[in-house]
Amino acid sequence: MSAAVAVEALVKRYGRTVALDGVSFAVAAGEMFALLGPNGAGKSTLLHILCTLLKQDGGSARIAGIEVRDNPLGARKHLGVVFQEPSLDVRLTLWENLEFHGLVYGVPLSVRRARMEEMLHLVELWDWRQALVRTLSTGMKRRLEIARALIHDSSILCLDEPTVGLDAQSRERIWNYLAQLREKRGITLLVTTHYIEEVEPCDRICVIDRGRILAEGSPAALKAAHGKAFLRVIGRDEAAEADLLAQYESRASRHGADILIESSGNAFVESFLAANAGRIKRLSVEEPSLETVFLSLTGRELRDQAAGARERTFQFGKQGGEHTR
Amino acid sequence: MTDVTRDSAVSQPLLGILGGIYAIWLREVKRAIRDRGQLIGGVIRPLLYVLIMGIGLNPYFRGEIYGEVRFVVPYTYLQFLFPAVIALNIMYTSVQSAVSTIWDREFGFLREVLVSPMPRWAVLLGKILGGTTVALFHGTLVLALAPFADLPLYWRDIAQGLGLMFLLAFGLTSLGVVIANRVRSFEGFGVFSNVVILPLYFTSSSIFPLDPSLTAAQMRVIYPEWLVLLVRFNPVTYAVDALRGAFVHYHQFAPSLGPLILVGVAALCFGIALRDFTRS
Repeated sequence: MSAAVAVEALVKRYGRTVALDGVSFAVAAGEMFALLGPNGAGKSTLLHILCTLLKQDGGSARIAGIEVRDNPLGARKHLGVVFQEPSLDVRLTLWENLEFHGLVYGVPLSVRRARMEEMLHLVELWDWRQALVRTLSTGMKRRLEIARALIHDSSILCLDEPTVGLDAQSRERIWNYLAQLREKRGITLLVTTHYIEEVEPCDRICVIDRGRILAEGSPAALKAAHGKAFLRVIGRDEAAEADLLAQYESRASRHGADILIESSGNAFVESFLAANAGRIKRLSVEEPSLETVFLSLTGRELRDQAAGARERTFQFGKQGGEHTR
Repeated sequence: MTDVTRDSAVSQPLLGILGGIYAIWLREVKRAIRDRGQLIGGVIRPLLYVLIMGIGLNPYFRGEIYGEVRFVVPYTYLQFLFPAVIALNIMYTSVQSAVSTIWDREFGFLREVLVSPMPRWAVLLGKILGGTTVALFHGTLVLALAPFADLPLYWRDIAQGLGLMFLLAFGLTSLGVVIANRVRSFEGFGVFSNVVILPLYFTSSSIFPLDPSLTAAQMRVIYPEWLVLLVRFNPVTYAVDALRGAFVHYHQFAPSLGPLILVGVAALCFGIALRDFTRS
C-alpha cells in the first residue's frame, strides 16, 4: 500500500523567488497531517501543486500513487479540496452547490443524493439546504465547503487554512467534523494552518518556512526535541528593556512589544527575578509548546499578515460592483 | 495498481463528462434567471431601439431625401433595424455572461471546477453553451416586437433565424471568454460595453444601410472610405446581414457569406478560448 500523499524533493519557483525548495514528506492513509507555517511559507503553493492547479518545477508529488503532473485528472478524483478562500457559488442554494459538485465529479444520482443528505446532516446545515449561499455566515460557508468536498469518493481531504477568519466556536465545530469524518470514512486529512493550538490533535506535524521543512514529527516529539521554555517580558521603560536585551544578549530577542528570553528551568527564572525584579512591568513563563517549537525553529512568531492586492477587486465586488453575483 | 488507476481515470465515461457540462450549463442559466438586472436590460434595450429609435427615424428613410430619390430599398427603416437589434441584444448578453468568468476567477469558484476531474474543454464548453443559451433567449425576446416593425414571422424564418442567432451567440460568448482571460483587473462592465459591444454594433451596417443599389465606387462617394472599410471588416456585419436575410429576406452580401463567416468566427474564438483555458 503506497502512501496517500507522497512528496519528494518538490521545487517551485515564481520568477526568481523560490517558493518550495526541495520539500519531501509522506502522509500515510488515514493519517491527520498538518503543515504548519507562517503566511508565505509555501503551504498554499504546496497544496496547489497537490490539487494540480500549479505545476511543479522539479521533484514529484503523488496522490494515492498517481503523479499529479502526469495524470492530473486521475489525481483529482481522489482529492477533496477546501480552499482558503470560499469557492462556492453564492447565487445558488446550498443544495444546488452540492448537486453541481456531484455532477461535475460524475457521482451517480442515487449515491449523490444519499451523500448530499448525509453530509448536510453532518455539518448541521440540513435545515438551510434551500437557502441561497450568500445568506450564510463565513463559518457556515466553510462547513458547506467541507461537506461539498466529500460528495464524491474522495479519500484525501486537503484543507487550506480551514479555520482562518472564524470565531472560536466555529473553529472547534470544524475540527469536530473533521474528527468524525476520519472515524466514519477513514479519510486522510492534510491541513495547512498557522494556528498553532489547532494542530495538537494531529498525528504528525510538518513545520515549514520559506519553502523548506524545518521539522517533522508528532506534536509530543516536536515539543521534546525543539520546545524551549521562554520568559515573556515587558520592561518598565525603554531603558530597562535595553538593559535586559544587553544583559541576556545571546538568548533574548524582541518580538513586537515583548522581549522573549530563553529559559533553562526554574532556577533560571528565580535568578532572573532576583536580578531584574525592578526592571519588569509584566512577566510570563511560557512552557514548551508548539508555539515555542515554532519560535525556536524559525526565530519568528506566527502572526497574521496584511491581505494581498487582490483584495481591491474583491472589495469592489463585495460593494455590489456590477454583474458580480 | 498505479496503472489501473491511470487507465480508468483517462477514459472517464462520456456520460460523466456530459453530466458535468450539463451542470455548468445549468448553473449559467440559473444565475441568469436570478439576475434581474440582466433581464431588465434584455427587455428595455430592444424596446428603446425598436420603439423609440426605429419608429422615430422610420419616416426619414423612404429612399428620398429632400425630394431627391437616392435609394430604392425594399424595406422600411424599422424592418432594416429589427435584425440588428436582435444582434445587439445577443451581443450584450453573450459578453456579459463571458465576463462573469472574471468573477468566477476572483471569487474562487473557478477553482472548484478546475480541481474537478472534468477536462478543461468540457468546462469551457459548458460555460459557453450556458452563455449562448441565455443570449439566445434574449435575442428571441426581440422577436416579440416584430409586429411593431411590420414584420410577418414565418416558422421557417424563425427556425433559420434561431440557427443563426445560436452561431452568433456562441461566437460572441467565446470572444467574451477570450477577452475575460486577458483582463487582469476589472472595474466594471461599462468598459466592455463601450470598448467591445457598441463599436462592433455601430460598424456592423446595423443602423445605417450600405446601399445595395450603389456600386463600390459610388458608395465611397457617399461614405468616407475608412467607414466602408470598417464595416466590411467587421464580422458582425455579416451576422446582421444573415439575420436580415432570414427575417426581411434581403441580403447586402452573398447569402452564403453570413453563415460561413459566423461558423468561422465561432470556431476561431472557441479555439483561442480553449487554448487560453487549457494553458492557464
